[in-house]
Amino acid sequence: MRRLMVMKKWLITPVAILLMLLLAGCWDRTEINDLAIIVGLGLHETEDEEVQLSVQIVNPSSMASGQSGNSGQQGTGQLTTMEKEVGKTTFDARSKLQEKVSRELFSGHNRVVFISEKLAEKGIRDHIDFLARYTRPRLRSYVYVTKGVPADFFKVMPDLESSSAETARELADLRIGMSVEVKELLQMTADASENAALPIITIEGEPPHSYGLRVQGAAVFKHGKMVGQLDDSATRGVMWIRDEIEEATIMVQPEGETGYISFLVLDATTKLVPEIKGDNWTMTVQINAIDDAVENHTTLDLMKPDTIKRLEKQLEEKVEQRIHIALEQVQKDMKADILGFGESFDSKYPDKWEAVKDNWDEKFSEVTVNIESDVEIKRPGRSTSPPALPEDEVTNE
Amino acid sequence: MKNGQKGRLPLKRRRLKQQKAKQADKTAKLEPSVDSKAPLSDSLRANENTFRSIYDNSSDVIFRPFYIGEQVKALLIYIEGLSNIEEIDDSVLSPLIKSKADGDTTVDTLINKKVAVSDVKKVTTFSDSVKEIASGSPVIIVDQQTSGFALGLSKWENRSVEEPQAEMVVRGPREGFVETIGVNTSLIRRRIRSPKLKMKAMEAGEYTKTAIKIAYIDGVADQSVIKEAASRINRIDVDGILDSGVLEEYIEDHPQSPFPQVLSTERPDIVSANLLEGRVAILVDGSPFVLIVPATFYSLLQSSEDYYGRFLIGTSIRWLRYFFLLISLFLPSLYVALLTYHQEMVPTTLLFSIAASRAQVPFPALIEALMMEITFEALREAGLRLPKQVGSAVSIVGALVIGEAAVSAGIVSAPMVIVVALTGVASFTIPRYSASAAVRMLRFPMIFLAGTLGLLGIMLGIIGIIVHMATIRSFGEPYLSPMAPMKWRGMKDVLIRAPWWKLNTRPRFTGETNDYRQADNQKPSPIRGKD
Repeated sequence: MRRLMVMKKWLITPVAILLMLLLAGCWDRTEINDLAIIVGLGLHETEDEEVQLSVQIVNPSSMASGQSGNSGQQGTGQLTTMEKEVGKTTFDARSKLQEKVSRELFSGHNRVVFISEKLAEKGIRDHIDFLARYTRPRLRSYVYVTKGVPADFFKVMPDLESSSAETARELADLRIGMSVEVKELLQMTADASENAALPIITIEGEPPHSYGLRVQGAAVFKHGKMVGQLDDSATRGVMWIRDEIEEATIMVQPEGETGYISFLVLDATTKLVPEIKGDNWTMTVQINAIDDAVENHTTLDLMKPDTIKRLEKQLEEKVEQRIHIALEQVQKDMKADILGFGESFDSKYPDKWEAVKDNWDEKFSEVTVNIESDVEIKRPGRSTSPPALPEDEVTNE
Repeated sequence: MKNGQKGRLPLKRRRLKQQKAKQADKTAKLEPSVDSKAPLSDSLRANENTFRSIYDNSSDVIFRPFYIGEQVKALLIYIEGLSNIEEIDDSVLSPLIKSKADGDTTVDTLINKKVAVSDVKKVTTFSDSVKEIASGSPVIIVDQQTSGFALGLSKWENRSVEEPQAEMVVRGPREGFVETIGVNTSLIRRRIRSPKLKMKAMEAGEYTKTAIKIAYIDGVADQSVIKEAASRINRIDVDGILDSGVLEEYIEDHPQSPFPQVLSTERPDIVSANLLEGRVAILVDGSPFVLIVPATFYSLLQSSEDYYGRFLIGTSIRWLRYFFLLISLFLPSLYVALLTYHQEMVPTTLLFSIAASRAQVPFPALIEALMMEITFEALREAGLRLPKQVGSAVSIVGALVIGEAAVSAGIVSAPMVIVVALTGVASFTIPRYSASAAVRMLRFPMIFLAGTLGLLGIMLGIIGIIVHMATIRSFGEPYLSPMAPMKWRGMKDVLIRAPWWKLNTRPRFTGETNDYRQADNQKPSPIRGKD
């Protein structure tokens, strides 16, 4: 009898564990081939004030055959497909979208979120909530404001990348223009200043012959609504202040010369130093940059320390000029603090910040901005004196 | 131990009961029963009769009667094929037969003056004689004497010392143990010449009478381990021990565990190294595998070559082995979990290509993985058991059918084939076959857990395995030592393979009685050489 009990104990434990596993069941198990892998989400508002959700779904089998040598279009079909649906809310639209997509919509690999200009003007707060709350889309997707309907963007078949969403992601990764992830957008809108800036993306070429996308300028959001747009150079100015510059080219035309010298910014750091004296709020923007000369169309000899000094001065002016353009638009016209001034004041003068917090937009426009830039030309490039010039034509001072 | 003794009594009793029943059976058949414990009598005829009845129906036992000095009757008993006949003829029979007629024929005189054999043993009982005869030593009994003598002239066909097939090294000794225990002890003795090396003789098996030797270095090995090993072997009361693997199962601490708690090796150098570390070796006659206790999990992952090569390379190879141990245990289950539950964790482009290759596959990833892993195990087993000539056919069929054809037929996906192949290769990086078998077996519950509970299941599995490993002990030494319990001293031979001059202490549990194994400051340097 005791033997039997022992046997039973031995049997019961593994059997119970096995049954427990079956109880847990594979209820949320999804095979990879039952997934519609979304790489791009688009949000737009229709004429009827409803949300239009568009998605870009990859077709893995044609994507794989495209990889293995066949030229993309000749594969089993299109690399990506676009589906769209309208609904009262974003998730409502998503649910309706699922009705006509045979595979489970899976946004765990979402690359970009496109927000149409129209929706941006109306306000994106409600829609951002979806991105933040619904656990599936990843927070590392890049957010763009589109000039036009996002659905059109997803129809673009880019030349180099496999999908337009991928193109947008690669463009953001290059950090030529602004690049903002969902996570950063959430941080920006949750900030005390509640202002945000998103890059704007446009289609290259006229549909249906469009072949790519282009990042162009930035959209400025105030309290969740787009209040204005910055052009490329103003965007660069904003990026200088926000310490987001990674690679930049600056051209200068030295005095008394007809040609330009191009410089590549190798390393740039920006520090914001806030200061409050009485009622006077000042912000000092300290910029340190190291440059590399990459192209010289002038007759100047870049090996001469004097020349370098002069050029450095000019470069500093150029950078400051860019920043001034940005400040003019952002601070004076839009009165939207997308530069991080608010945070900076908040961390150094929490009490005084608290007092102006609710009135920050006005106060922001009154902040005096000092720019201290220090540009250093580290390397004159591979060839030292202008190589295309005979020696006697090189300017000697 | 108390439990062990308690459990042992009824067992012993049952066996005795069986024996009694057998004996009753024998007497019923009117067969002569022999009390083998009895001493030899002084009548040669009576003794001969007893021996003949002991070796009833044994045609391979040779009885050779002869006269010593043409007068005194004597009898030579040996087993055909187990003894060196030429030696018996030249050194024993011929001097005895040709000796003077009126000489002294007491056994002691014969041993001391007549028999030119170095290994001679006096036997006084039938059981001793039978034991000697069984081990190949011819026994001579003389008329009028109550004792006989056994000649250590055993000689039988045995395999010569070869390179062990299951434990190859590039650099290191190429000798391997053989099936004869005497050769095996000599292989160890040749490496450790100190008289401190002890070989305690034991025996197990009711019918096999298998010789067992417990080898240890006196003053280095822990006495309690030696005693424990001896008591566990003493406990064994079975018909036969045919291989050290059988003995292993009888003396293990936790026979239910998939992990081997005894290290078995064919290499005398590994045994010697372990003896020097204070471990105890158990040699079993008839098996080329010598058991080493206590064994820890990490000792199963060490190869002798780690110690013969340069320490930097030894360390990196050890890390490689640890890494592939994890791969072979977790890769298929991770693959299944990621593909069925956590697709967002796969890099996007990789996900696309996996999705593309899985598009035609009819099975869920879990079934696919189980199917492929089982097929791989079957292939491995088939390749192992088949004759060498057919073995290559199996590998060709396996590679073609399981790899290429299955993928192009859309039954399995190419990434799964890669995963299975990688897992298979990884499991062979573990130097001990028994350990790699444990890992390969555990892979299946892991895959199942991954397929039902995802990463949560894998975590549960890992916790289960680690808890289990932390629970078990091998002859008193915790299985995960020196990692758990944490002993920094042992890390130098676990995390890394420290250079020899830094391996100055023995492992904590086995070498406590004699901590230091070498002098300090042994690091070679040109300055020290000039002293």
